[in-house]
Amino acid sequence: MTTAFAQTETPIVKLVGVDKDYHLGSVIVPALRDVSLSIAAGEFTVIAGPSGSGKTTLLNLIGCVDVATRGDVVIDGADTRQLKEKALTDLRLRSLGFIFQSFNLVGVLDAFDNVEFPLLLQGKLNKVERRDRVMGLLQQVGIEQYAHHRPGELSGGQRQRVAIARALVTQPRIVLADEPTANLDSKTGTAILELMQELNRRGTTFLFSTHDPRVVSRAGRVIRLVDGQIADLNASAEDVAALAAGAH
Amino acid sequence: MILIRIALRNLRSHWFKGLIVGGLLSLGSALLVVGLSLLGTIDKSMSKSVVGSVSGNLQVYAKDAKDKLSLFAGMTEGTEFGHIDDFPKVRKTLEAVAGVRAVVPMGTDVAMVYGGNVLDVKLEELRAAEKAKDAAKSKIVRAHVRRMVGLLATDLDRISELRTADNQSDETKKAIADVKRAGSDGFWKEFDADPFAALEFLENKVAPLGLNADMIWFRYIGTDLDRFRAHFELFEVVDGTVVPKGQRGFLFNKLTYEETVKHRTARRFDKMRDRLAEGFSIEGDEDLKQWKKLNKDQIREITYQLDDRTEPLVHTFLLNHLKQTKGTTDALLAQFMEVTDDNFASRYKAFYDGIAPHLMLYSIKVGDVMTIKGFTSSGYPTSVNVKVYGTFRFKSLDKSMMAGGMNLMDLMTYRDLYGYLTADRKEELARLQANTGVKPPERDKAEAELFADAGDEVEEIKPSGEAIAAPSAATDLAGAATQTGGFDEFAKVDMKASAKTYGEDLFSRVYAQGDIDGGVVRNAAVLFQPGVDDRAVQAAVAKAAEGAKLGVQVMDWREASGMVGQFLFVIYAVLAGSLFIIFFTAMVIINNSTVLATMERTREIGALRAIGAQRSYVRKMFLVEAAVSAVLFGALGSALGALVVAWLNGHGIAAFNDVFVFLFAGPRLHPTLSPAYVVIALVVVTVVTVLSTLYPAWLATRVTPLQAMQDAE
Repeated sequence: MTTAFAQTETPIVKLVGVDKDYHLGSVIVPALRDVSLSIAAGEFTVIAGPSGSGKTTLLNLIGCVDVATRGDVVIDGADTRQLKEKALTDLRLRSLGFIFQSFNLVGVLDAFDNVEFPLLLQGKLNKVERRDRVMGLLQQVGIEQYAHHRPGELSGGQRQRVAIARALVTQPRIVLADEPTANLDSKTGTAILELMQELNRRGTTFLFSTHDPRVVSRAGRVIRLVDGQIADLNASAEDVAALAAGAH
Repeated sequence: MILIRIALRNLRSHWFKGLIVGGLLSLGSALLVVGLSLLGTIDKSMSKSVVGSVSGNLQVYAKDAKDKLSLFAGMTEGTEFGHIDDFPKVRKTLEAVAGVRAVVPMGTDVAMVYGGNVLDVKLEELRAAEKAKDAAKSKIVRAHVRRMVGLLATDLDRISELRTADNQSDETKKAIADVKRAGSDGFWKEFDADPFAALEFLENKVAPLGLNADMIWFRYIGTDLDRFRAHFELFEVVDGTVVPKGQRGFLFNKLTYEETVKHRTARRFDKMRDRLAEGFSIEGDEDLKQWKKLNKDQIREITYQLDDRTEPLVHTFLLNHLKQTKGTTDALLAQFMEVTDDNFASRYKAFYDGIAPHLMLYSIKVGDVMTIKGFTSSGYPTSVNVKVYGTFRFKSLDKSMMAGGMNLMDLMTYRDLYGYLTADRKEELARLQANTGVKPPERDKAEAELFADAGDEVEEIKPSGEAIAAPSAATDLAGAATQTGGFDEFAKVDMKASAKTYGEDLFSRVYAQGDIDGGVVRNAAVLFQPGVDDRAVQAAVAKAAEGAKLGVQVMDWREASGMVGQFLFVIYAVLAGSLFIIFFTAMVIINNSTVLATMERTREIGALRAIGAQRSYVRKMFLVEAAVSAVLFGALGSALGALVVAWLNGHGIAAFNDVFVFLFAGPRLHPTLSPAYVVIALVVVTVVTVLSTLYPAWLATRVTPLQAMQDAE
């Protein structure tokens, strides 16, 4: 439970006074209110909060798949509000890694192809370099023997390992994970968390959204959200424990 | 690469959808390959048919022609194709163009021959016998004529019974009276006293009533026969010989000859035999039923031709064949014509063994001189005698009336018939002019002046005083005997007799190439050397014609063959129609199923977008998938189509009727495959598939990364 890096360097993620409204017909539903935060390289941060508190919305803004209604979202030095759709997509490809709750692998491609896919989109590496990078990652996540299995032939944990490898393969500045353990049993979930912690120790910055106390208990830093507002930017161990207890 | 892999794998995982879409795409491309092969082959075979028989590769004709040249023009279409004034120049200029093998002069027209009225023929024989004072011959023919008049009287009686007396026109009453008179003993006594007066009565009053008076109409090409024979490669003599080099003469197309010159009953027997050989039965086929009925109804066609000598022979033959002991010839013939599928073969043989030998099987025989009647370019009736040297066919087009309806005539006779002065006529006129001091008629009036009636029509056209002398002088020169009086009877003149004076000299005359080329030609066929680029040579010919100011326009065989050429477009339209239906269905299905697939794959697409795939990449993913399945199934369908074509090539497609014989250039079509068709099929299938994927692909680009974030539940 240590934060390996100091928080004084230029943050990878910086939000200032961010609001996000959703429009349900003519009704405006505020999802986030005046959120400001920053995340530095090397953190292992969890956004915690009950359902409907705005965790996923916050993660989507940071993940550049949604835009803020008001306020600034700066990712890897880029003000996302200034960017067009195409540039945002480029930013995602260059700087971000995604791990989805339900893995979202390409069903017809095997593990290797799925992991290789972002590299193909980037088009920077040649075939040999790609293979080395992909196999190295599959090894790191412990499923190199399943490289040529398709998602349908893998268990949930194995699929999430493939998804993690895919998120890491471009060596992004930060990996975003939306409830990465939600669809896994507790044992597998724990193993996945341990894997991510291990990867964090090797230098990858992680940002989770979760209400799973197991995830929260392993976080280096917990940002608590309540009703779309930040309740605590760095919750204490007690808070975390209370939160964990509350969740149970 | 990864996109192709995704495409292939998607195809495999959605095999059921793939099966339907793939089936349609395969069907479409197979149909394209087969259809294009068929059309391509038909186009080639048709070009062989048309080019090799009638049109040549190109036709040239006068630029200022009123009507568009159409070699197969029906009676209703205009035929004012103008004239090529200086054919030698046209020929010289165009034959100098690289790739041109020959230029053959032509003129197409419709002619009429009065043939088949036995009464006319017999009266002619009778007149000859009387003139020769051949009493024995006269007696036999006289009996035949009397028999025929008797039969005619019976028939007329039967007709008049069907009408009430007051319903009959004066003409009918008079006709019946005339025939009755001709059948009476009194009349034949008069005949002994003054045979020529009686003959005139028979010829003028009775013969026209002959029921089987036959006008034979046929189309012909007036051409340089030697050059035609040398350059139209499908030409082949069947009976008789070709017209001797440089001479006048006529060749019947074998099919025309059989269809129109042959004795009708015999012809029907032939047709029935052919149809039965195709596996039809008499009761099950309307044509067969009709032919049988006609043979039964038209036994006059036989009995008219029988005389006192041959009638008993046929009667005895019929009694034996039908195993009867009594009955009139009429009744026995009626029974004989009652053919069935079972007895047809023996009746057919019996007809040709026992009956046909006593008939005039062909009303015009090879070697005969026939009188062709026609209309000159300005509409005057005209007639010309020409010797029939033989029959010919266009190889492998025997059964096609399209090619089989074209007969051949030498250019000199054609010019006579068409109303233009031929070189020798000009020469004769010049001689005449020298002798009599008559001025030559102006060219545009010449024909009218030479061929117009000596009577009222001459007044109508108001010729100069001298011109009235011209026709009569020409008539004398031509030796057209004036037994019946005026020049207007030219057509009815005994041409065989006149041929002895004017004609026979003409028939044996050999014309130099300069004479043949030197007169008027209406159009000309341009034939290419084998293996040249048709379009390039056509362009070169057109350019040469323009450059030399020949005053002609150039038309390719397709255009010149008019409706026939258009036929190919009909087949194209049918093919295009069916392809449209198939591909339209395929497009709808592909569109729908891909839209569904897009919806199914929303999360996957969203995830790819989140990972960093651009919209354009997603679009590409769908289009590549479409193209892959198009190429795959297109190739499969093409292969299938190629197999079908190969099979068809081996077995051939039978021509259903004579039009198809012509289109197929033979009784069977053996389609061949060209790689271009496979390429076309693949391109078309790909375009269709990609087009039908455009909308779903656009939908897919609208999927946002957010949609990947939502929970699956």
